[in-house]
Amino acid sequence: MDISDILQDLNRDRDPFDDDDYNDGRPSGQTDLQDLTRAWVNERGAAELLPYPKDNLIERATNRIKAQIEKVEEMTGDMDPKTNFSLIIIQTEVERWKFIIRSILRARIAKIDKHTLYYLSTPELQTRLSETEVAYATRHQQLLHGHYLGSFLGSFPPQLQNLNDTAGGISMIGGPDEEGGVFVRSLGSREIGGEGVVVRGRGRDGDGEVEVARGEVVVARWADVKEAVEKGEMELV
Amino acid sequence: MALPLTPGLTPTEVAFLCEMEMVTVVPRQKLESLDLLAGATQPLRPPHRVPLPLWLALLLKRQRRANILPPPWLFPASLDKILKHETEISPETFSPPPPHPYAISVLPSATNHISPPFLPSSTADSPPDYLPYHWLELGEILLEACSDDIPDPDRVRTVLRGLREVRMAKMRASTKDLEGGGISSLRGVGAMEVAEGREFMVGVMDGLRKLGASREAARREREEDEGGWSRAGR
Repeated sequence: MDISDILQDLNRDRDPFDDDDYNDGRPSGQTDLQDLTRAWVNERGAAELLPYPKDNLIERATNRIKAQIEKVEEMTGDMDPKTNFSLIIIQTEVERWKFIIRSILRARIAKIDKHTLYYLSTPELQTRLSETEVAYATRHQQLLHGHYLGSFLGSFPPQLQNLNDTAGGISMIGGPDEEGGVFVRSLGSREIGGEGVVVRGRGRDGDGEVEVARGEVVVARWADVKEAVEKGEMELV
Repeated sequence: MALPLTPGLTPTEVAFLCEMEMVTVVPRQKLESLDLLAGATQPLRPPHRVPLPLWLALLLKRQRRANILPPPWLFPASLDKILKHETEISPETFSPPPPHPYAISVLPSATNHISPPFLPSSTADSPPDYLPYHWLELGEILLEACSDDIPDPDRVRTVLRGLREVRMAKMRASTKDLEGGGISSLRGVGAMEVAEGREFMVGVMDGLRKLGASREAARREREEDEGGWSRAGR
């Protein structure tokens, strides 16, 4: 596989007018690997739950792995020492992909566990979760609530039993720290002809806009760069 | 089941990421093209050079089926030059990262937004004068796995250690910029350096932010009172 082949693949597969994943223009394995890796590093870097990877990325990668495992099973039928080594390579790669996917999903579960009620509290936040994750979070919260009710909440006066009270202007539902520091890399503007990404950083003694050149790594508050990360103009590192 | 780690990649995860970097391999045995998930590999025909991801190159190397060509920046002469840049030319900041290999095209193109480890910054034809993002991990991995392929490995090891120390001092010094908040640039920083420094730097940043929170809020309020034209009022 030559680098120019990869590029060609990328150019063909990233056709902006083609949204259907399951025709001939479906993303190449290389593109999926890049997207998966970026999704993984982003998810691991952010304290907050990020939107579930778009365009069935996880499902597509899982299907690829499934197909690959089937192929390995077929290949093990004709065991000759030469294909044996090829099998090791193929299986090593499969394990690498599986690790990334598992790590993304486990990082997400950890965040959902931590602030379950927060991510379920508004429909907008709920769209960040996949269907399975919503089901998981709902069930998790039900169990937790049932346990609380049974162990102590049930003996409280009814008006004190809420877990989502906002009395006194303070919400009981805690969320992740949106102002926490993160390391981000600029990927370049998504606007045509754009180079650097302009971010507005808020500071103690003043706010200011800074242009971050493509490839440059900066430290910033998550809330200041969140939008750029979601637009794909920056990535966490 | 949930991941018990705090946000941010750990050094082992960074090493895993680094293994996706492309390196150049000189095969010693034939191997047909393999249909991997990330696309088919090029068939290996000695002595033709082939770019392969590092994890695969290491697998081949371990079985003595191939040699790895070290990237040009890992030669002692290039490292000496970079170290000189780090200590004499820019003693305050990191040496610059390699230029992005793909120019931004006018049409939206996938290469516009590729980032390490998927940039060819450690193949045999990568530029010699810049440390790529995964320099430290890649250098260490190659020194361990194939020191016989690297010219003068002891010298390389020494200079890498020197570089690491110089750059760690810069990383620590950069916490000074964090005091006022805002965006602080770490242009040229490496992946492992970020992983090592993350906890401390983020801790400093969050601590200072909390200490300065009332001052920041007061300033914002004041600027808002001064009129909608001020920058904070936008």
